[in-house]
Amino acid sequence: MRNIITTFILGFITMAVQGQTEITGRVTDGRGGPVIGANIFIVNSYDGTSSDAKGAFNFSTSEQGSQLLRVTCIGYETYETPVGLSAEKLNLSIPLIEKVDRLEAVVISAGSFTAGEESSREVLKPLDIVTTAGATADVAGALNTLPGTQKVGETGRLFVRGGEGSETKTFIDGIEVLNPYSSSAPNTPGRGRFSPFMFSGTSFSTGGYSAEYGQALSSALVLRSKDVPDETRTDISLMTVGADVSHTREINAGAFAGKLQYTNLTPYFEAVSQRIDWERAPQSMEGNFMLRKELTQKHELKLYSNFSWSDFVIYQPTILDESIKDKIDLTNNYQYINTSLKTIVNNQWSVLSGISYTNSIEKIKLNGEKNNEREEGVHIKTVVANDVSEKFSLLLGGEHFIRSYTYENAALPDERPGFDLDLTAFFAEADLYTSNRFVSRAGVRAEYNWMQNRFYAVPRLSVGYKTGENSQMSVAYGQFNQTGRNDLVRVKNNLEDEEADHYIINYQREENGRTFRIEAYYKNYNNLIKFTQAYNPESYTNSGEGYARGVDVFWRDNKSLKGVDYWLSYSYLDTERDYRNFPSYAVPSFASGHNFSAVFKYFINSLKTQVGGTYSYSSGRPYNNPNLDTFNSEKTADYHDLSLNASYLLKSNIIVHGSVTNVLGLDNIFGYESSDRPDENGQYVLKAVKQPASRFIFLGMFITLSKDKSVNQLPTL
Amino acid sequence: MKALMLITTMFFIIYSSHAGPSKYEEAMQENISKLYASRTVEEYQEVINKFDRIAAMETDKWEPLYYAGFGYIMMATESKEATVKDKYLDLALEKITAGTKLQPQESELIALEGFVHMIRVTVDPATRGAQYSGLSMQAYGRAVELNPDNPRALYLMAQIEYGTAQFFGSDTGEACAKLELAIEKFDTYVPDSPLAPAWGKGGAIASMERCK
Repeated sequence: MRNIITTFILGFITMAVQGQTEITGRVTDGRGGPVIGANIFIVNSYDGTSSDAKGAFNFSTSEQGSQLLRVTCIGYETYETPVGLSAEKLNLSIPLIEKVDRLEAVVISAGSFTAGEESSREVLKPLDIVTTAGATADVAGALNTLPGTQKVGETGRLFVRGGEGSETKTFIDGIEVLNPYSSSAPNTPGRGRFSPFMFSGTSFSTGGYSAEYGQALSSALVLRSKDVPDETRTDISLMTVGADVSHTREINAGAFAGKLQYTNLTPYFEAVSQRIDWERAPQSMEGNFMLRKELTQKHELKLYSNFSWSDFVIYQPTILDESIKDKIDLTNNYQYINTSLKTIVNNQWSVLSGISYTNSIEKIKLNGEKNNEREEGVHIKTVVANDVSEKFSLLLGGEHFIRSYTYENAALPDERPGFDLDLTAFFAEADLYTSNRFVSRAGVRAEYNWMQNRFYAVPRLSVGYKTGENSQMSVAYGQFNQTGRNDLVRVKNNLEDEEADHYIINYQREENGRTFRIEAYYKNYNNLIKFTQAYNPESYTNSGEGYARGVDVFWRDNKSLKGVDYWLSYSYLDTERDYRNFPSYAVPSFASGHNFSAVFKYFINSLKTQVGGTYSYSSGRPYNNPNLDTFNSEKTADYHDLSLNASYLLKSNIIVHGSVTNVLGLDNIFGYESSDRPDENGQYVLKAVKQPASRFIFLGMFITLSKDKSVNQLPTL
Repeated sequence: MKALMLITTMFFIIYSSHAGPSKYEEAMQENISKLYASRTVEEYQEVINKFDRIAAMETDKWEPLYYAGFGYIMMATESKEATVKDKYLDLALEKITAGTKLQPQESELIALEGFVHMIRVTVDPATRGAQYSGLSMQAYGRAVELNPDNPRALYLMAQIEYGTAQFFGSDTGEACAKLELAIEKFDTYVPDSPLAPAWGKGGAIASMERCK
């Protein structure tokens, strides 16, 4: 018996002694550097350790025989190796392979500014768009403080890198939007139809964008509609220019939101004198409707619609004789509906299909004569995305556009210029991550234009390289094409697409809430539409050409000064074109050589108030004086604007917001219009295009009603 | 002799039946003390690695996942760069989610999830405030519902209520009352396991200063 006990005890002792195998070694990354904090252990045991600052490790295990040693570390692929454990000491060298992680990896930043809620890497947040002074909560207004844009104050549109306003296309959830700006009187800025409150993310590309986006020569503005929150609430806004009410309601596996807005500028124009002689100040009625519903776990349906009606009547003095006034009566009816279905097939595959319909009818009565313009469009699109692996992903898609445009002119009752355009396109794009430091993207887009019976195939290429922990470089090249503007194609339907090549090089550094970006580009335009007589189709050709080159610089800092967030943008642009009715190469009137913006935001905690200011500068723009020999040879004075705003949290669910544009009341001149014929002295008369009023003052109160009283419109203001 | 054999056998039975849990408990307790003593990112990573090794073995235990998640939250608060903070918070949430799969009704895990959302707010309050403070409040609410005596859930909830009240300039009384209750619970609450979380009391007492 004693023997048995002795054996037992001995057995225990030997087990404890025998069980110790010492394992030492070093964990290294692909380049021989140490990997710190890696977890090294014997599978199915507690035995293991972490690597130290030199990547070295050392531990003992009581496991025996053939076992599996596993090494894990954040940012690296898991490493496993079989080990034979005996009394002998083991020394292991463990090379880990870096894991490609899309959140860590380099991104292609050439030409692109993204604003989203999710990633902390974004240059701009959706909130920035609405709190930028001078933008008056207009998407284009806020983006105009970014480099690469030119201030063309009389239109309110986005003019990007020497491109016309029509060269920027707007997409909602990847689907095209026609006529994204509301109608406005001649030479008064129009606003975007789509309120920034409706979007959770914005990607503003100033060039070199993905093959997914076509029919845009200069820029793509991609808006991602908000996921309607699962919470029931009502928001009421009372403003000096009108009122709106919106309601969000949770439904089974989804939510819907509706918003109704009425604006009328009559009381405001009564109070603040205007340069424009309004017979009836602008008024508009607008409705928005959104729905999100999860049909099954794999299918999500989104519906977004916008309808609006707007109207105004003005008297506009003729240039030659100011006492004679043209009466312009404009009514616009607009409907937009966008439906998309997202299907997650599995971890790798997802499909997004969508269809949009736009209908815009603009009725203009010029001195009682009708000039009606109607544009109708359908866009159908399907995109298939396949994340083959973390290192490789593929995007394939097809789309079809139908656009119908008619123009009715009382002066030419028998002619109804217009066109019907059908266009089919396919695109494919692949992203390849060689490592977290290097990514390349190659895409191709093929389009068949049924109206022109012409085929276009264009490449898009870009690469990104991480030069350091927080810095990276990107290079992009792409060819872009776009059917000419409605008012040109309606004269001659079978004009070819206008074309542009983009070459972009970008450097970006982001560290501790500070971002620095510099980007140089060259754009080559060809196939631009040119004519000698505006109404004669015979005189229209695609022989126009041009170029644009420049440098954009951006600096943003929200760390250096407590509570202060500011950004500075500078753009240099050198561009000339020989197109439209230009007699030769000249700088177009929308292009200014130097643009600068400084945006400043400060949250004063003790006052529960956010104040903001924006200063914008733009050097003189060329204009044509027909009394001179050289075309577009004159220049306007420089443009300056200082705008301020403030939001005050009155109660936890009430916000008061006020803003003033052009605080200094400077008399900016955007350009000059000339009379269509000479006066009695044989001279053409020039008339300055100015702001409709020196300042615009806005006051509003935003109230939120919900069960949770602390919810307010702050996130949307 | 028979008696000795019986005792020996009994000793072996008792020993072997307790061998698993006690080894687990011993390893856990040692590592939990290390976790509470950790101050740097490297120290936290080392104890998290140990919890990961234990979790890989003890696939039915939520505690190692809880502490690994807590460690990552601490790493996030020790880091300066927003992207790095987010990365650690993602890892923390991954651990907590794995834990709630094992123990969906564990008040401590749900409270820790709320803590992750609360730290997210601090990364970028202006943009994230509304969304994440809501998520965090929801989680604390559920944690208190599951265990009204959980002092950590009450303490964290009081923290966010205090911050919200202060921001909007409303009365902090309700938040302070909750904090007081939390401190009381820290003293009286007896957890059912020696491995149960025990952190938070110091922070709660420090926060109480603001209420005076």
